[in-house]
Amino acid sequence: MQGAPKTLLQHVAGTASRIYTIAMFVFLIAPVLVVLPLSFTAGQMLVFPLPGWSTQWYAEFFTNPLWTDALRNSVVIGVLTTLLATALGTAAAVGLHGAKSRWSGAVIALLVTPLAVPVVIVAVATFYLFASLQLVGTFLGLVLAHTVLALPFVVVTVSATLQGYDPNLTRAAASLGAAPWHAFRTVTLPIIAPGVISGALFAFVTSFDELVVAIFLSSPQLRTLPRQIFSGVSENISPAITAAAVVLLFVSVLLMAAMEALRRRSERMRRATENAT
Amino acid sequence: MPFPLAALGVLAALVAAGPAVAQQRQVTLVNQGGAPAEAQRVAVFEPFTRETGIRVVVDTYNQELARLRSQIETKNLIWDIVSLNPINEAAGCEEGLLEKIDWKQYIPAKPFEAVGGFGACGAPYLISPGVLAYDSDKLKGDQAPTSWQDFWNVEKFPGKRGMLYQPDQMLEVALIADGVAPPDVPKVLTAPGGVDRAFRKLGEIKPHVKWWRSGDESMQLILTGEVTMGYGWQGRVLAANATNKRNLKIVWPAGYVNAIIYLGVMKGTPRKDDAIKLIQYNLSTPAMARYADIMGLPPANADTYPLLSEAKRADLPGQYLDRGMMQGGSTYINFWLDNGDAIRQRFATFVAQ
Amino acid sequence: MLALMAPSVVFVCLVFVLPIALFLFRAVDNSDVPRALPKLALVIGTWNDGELPPEPVYRALVADLTVLRGSPELAILARRLNYALPGFRGTLTRTGRMLPASDVPSAKDALIAVDAKWADPEIWAVLRQQSGPVTDFFLLTALDRKRDVAGDIVPVAGDQAIFIDLYGRTLWVSLGVTLFCVILGFPIAAAMARATPATANWMLLGVLVPFWTSLLVRTTAWVILLQNEGLVNRALIWLGVLDTPLQLVFNRTGVYIAMVHVLLPYMILPLYSVMKGIQQSHLRAASSLGASPLRVFFTIYLPLSMPGVVAGATLVFVSAVGFYVTPALVGGPRDQMIGYFISYFTNSAVNWGLASALGAFLLLLVAITYLILGKLVGFDRLKVR
Repeated sequence: MQGAPKTLLQHVAGTASRIYTIAMFVFLIAPVLVVLPLSFTAGQMLVFPLPGWSTQWYAEFFTNPLWTDALRNSVVIGVLTTLLATALGTAAAVGLHGAKSRWSGAVIALLVTPLAVPVVIVAVATFYLFASLQLVGTFLGLVLAHTVLALPFVVVTVSATLQGYDPNLTRAAASLGAAPWHAFRTVTLPIIAPGVISGALFAFVTSFDELVVAIFLSSPQLRTLPRQIFSGVSENISPAITAAAVVLLFVSVLLMAAMEALRRRSERMRRATENAT
Repeated sequence: MPFPLAALGVLAALVAAGPAVAQQRQVTLVNQGGAPAEAQRVAVFEPFTRETGIRVVVDTYNQELARLRSQIETKNLIWDIVSLNPINEAAGCEEGLLEKIDWKQYIPAKPFEAVGGFGACGAPYLISPGVLAYDSDKLKGDQAPTSWQDFWNVEKFPGKRGMLYQPDQMLEVALIADGVAPPDVPKVLTAPGGVDRAFRKLGEIKPHVKWWRSGDESMQLILTGEVTMGYGWQGRVLAANATNKRNLKIVWPAGYVNAIIYLGVMKGTPRKDDAIKLIQYNLSTPAMARYADIMGLPPANADTYPLLSEAKRADLPGQYLDRGMMQGGSTYINFWLDNGDAIRQRFATFVAQ
Repeated sequence: MLALMAPSVVFVCLVFVLPIALFLFRAVDNSDVPRALPKLALVIGTWNDGELPPEPVYRALVADLTVLRGSPELAILARRLNYALPGFRGTLTRTGRMLPASDVPSAKDALIAVDAKWADPEIWAVLRQQSGPVTDFFLLTALDRKRDVAGDIVPVAGDQAIFIDLYGRTLWVSLGVTLFCVILGFPIAAAMARATPATANWMLLGVLVPFWTSLLVRTTAWVILLQNEGLVNRALIWLGVLDTPLQLVFNRTGVYIAMVHVLLPYMILPLYSVMKGIQQSHLRAASSLGASPLRVFFTIYLPLSMPGVVAGATLVFVSAVGFYVTPALVGGPRDQMIGYFISYFTNSAVNWGLASALGAFLLLLVAITYLILGKLVGFDRLKVR
């Protein structure tokens, strides 16, 4: 459409679409814009206008054991979930890439299904089983349930990176006498590393920000950060939740930036290899 | 290390980490959260932990008896000590959800006689009046409500009303609004047709009600102007004024619902001794005085009164005792034991429709 | 290769498929009752008229209750039967407390002396209906149906029927939210795809920042924005648009606003990735051949971006159908969705059978959606992300 002289109608349409787009982004960002100033309120309530400015809620977040314990639990559960999901998911993706049998479609479907079932059902179903196994309120229970939700992301991202990977490379390594694990670590892994790492980041964020499963599987002795925030918006209303949200957002943006950097690196590498061949 | 082995290692570490968390000596107490929970933490739990080394983990619930039942039935005990309203104290005791404890062995009985003494399972620790409250900076002069009839009058007092999402207390309030004198409410409610009358009255105000579940929500609604007046608990109103420097007012003469709040021990908890120790400490006169001084709630322990400041005593419903209805007495409690589940079910459907 | 897939497959089967299967079974499982009342379960089948059952049935009940007395199983049984007949809990608890001796001359008279309800044929009809190993009770309840004394399926009384409404509401709200997301998200994604890379990156950030902000906090922020004296109402009154505040939250409006906000990124992101792949040269070629912009849009751009629309809409719909935290916080009592009741019956009311039955129908709803979408656009396009 460039080049051709613009009619008045197109001008109006262009301006209208620009105004619409800006309005929609205001809508998308509005809640975040509300939360940022509220986290610095000197008052006890989530209400404007602010009675004054203070960093008390950040202090509360980083010193009150309720919040620090929840943060620690979320980090531990997130890291363990990431390790487990990445290990399982990468292995499955590599296996699927090599197999291409008529079963692989079914396997992918199975591994991705948890994303297609409403979370509340996954959470309640897991809760019923785990209650009889005494797994409610344990790290193990939360990690297992979060891994189910995180696994699809790892499988999908690693599979995507593997699309550009030639399985003959592994076979070549094997024919040179490399043990499978050795071949994987020295040949396959470096090439798919960006996919593995971004899958791992996805897995971490999935667990770290997960609420519904945590509502059912956590206990007062073992609370995750989103569960603690849930308490802070309903039972024990406190502006500390806004400070928690800002900290969480900060972590997410950092991870997001890391993912973006990885994506660009892998793109560069792919282009480099494409140019070389 | 190959990946599957790494995964196994992670699992092993997890299994090992599970029990390690539980080893510290602690008891878990559940109350209704918000300002009273914070006051209890400062006035009772922190000094208790300093003196005994037993950590107190606090959880929050909204008096859902079912949450006690599910823990007993699935044998997954999450709580050790439960804060109970009079109906739940009786029901939990009868259904075998709570330990039967002879509290006289642990706590001097005399100061608690005025509130009816110890229950078969629970020990009383405070009296919680449920009241009509509004923001006196917004409603002034003849704009201010003086009765539950005013609460029901949306023409003269336009706006939403905050009410508790729970039939007990709300049915009682509805009867007061329908003209029943507060002390007669138990008699009218438990008589044939009483429940229907209360539901009918609730139906009149239902379209204007914003139901709340936790005490914190009830105050948030009034403070933010979302409702023009609401049902709330006295301690929450005082705390909301104190922490936010506001002027919410309680309409004592309108009539109010009095409940004695008990502490009970979950049946079969392995931490029964520590739980009793904490309750004993919680009910002791110095701890109750510290608590009452922060919250301004009438303590169940009569010995505490002389220790309260003049200002705190002024906040108590003292001169309006005849306007209070007490959630107690065997007719009233037995009525809720027999009909509680059916009424709760009816209430949930009533609100959802 | 199989060895590499096996751990994940086994893991997902154990931690996902197994719990879901057990969950669905719970919707018909009735083992609590025959396990607690084995003797009664054996003899009650012999009684099948509208009169009161014969003496051996009463005697079997007394024998079973003697075994149960004082155990948690009695409480479980009482709760289970109370679902079917409100008030049963009280009757059973009282009977358990004042149980007649097993050698009384007439167990029938003794039981009726303890509680007159034992002389009511309805209580026995319920016991007979509920004494088998499986039951359709929960599934029927989840459809606002019950069995009457004769065993026929009848609708429950009008003031107790809520679940059919609830599925309708869940479906309706989810479809509405999905539609809003498509209508609102499409132009944004298109604008992003058209923008220069630098602008597109900023716009992407604008989509991702709310996406990564805690769902709860965003929901709370909407309450703060929309309440009577919230920022939106104040701004509108200050601008002179309104005289009195609009009710924007704790009702259906609030639910739509918050849910669309929460789910919009799920629509925009897949759409954007599809639209980015559409060659601008196709569009230019079409318009240089004289096609009007509208025609270009409908014949080329829209069909090419359809996979993104379908992927996004599926994602939004499936998430919306299971939502419950957001409606619980920004909706009124008549805006709650099925997820809320699944959670309520699991956590607050402890009626796991009913929670499972509601969940089973929700899963059915989702599965039907997939089937319809699959028919419409082909299954291979239904890839999520």
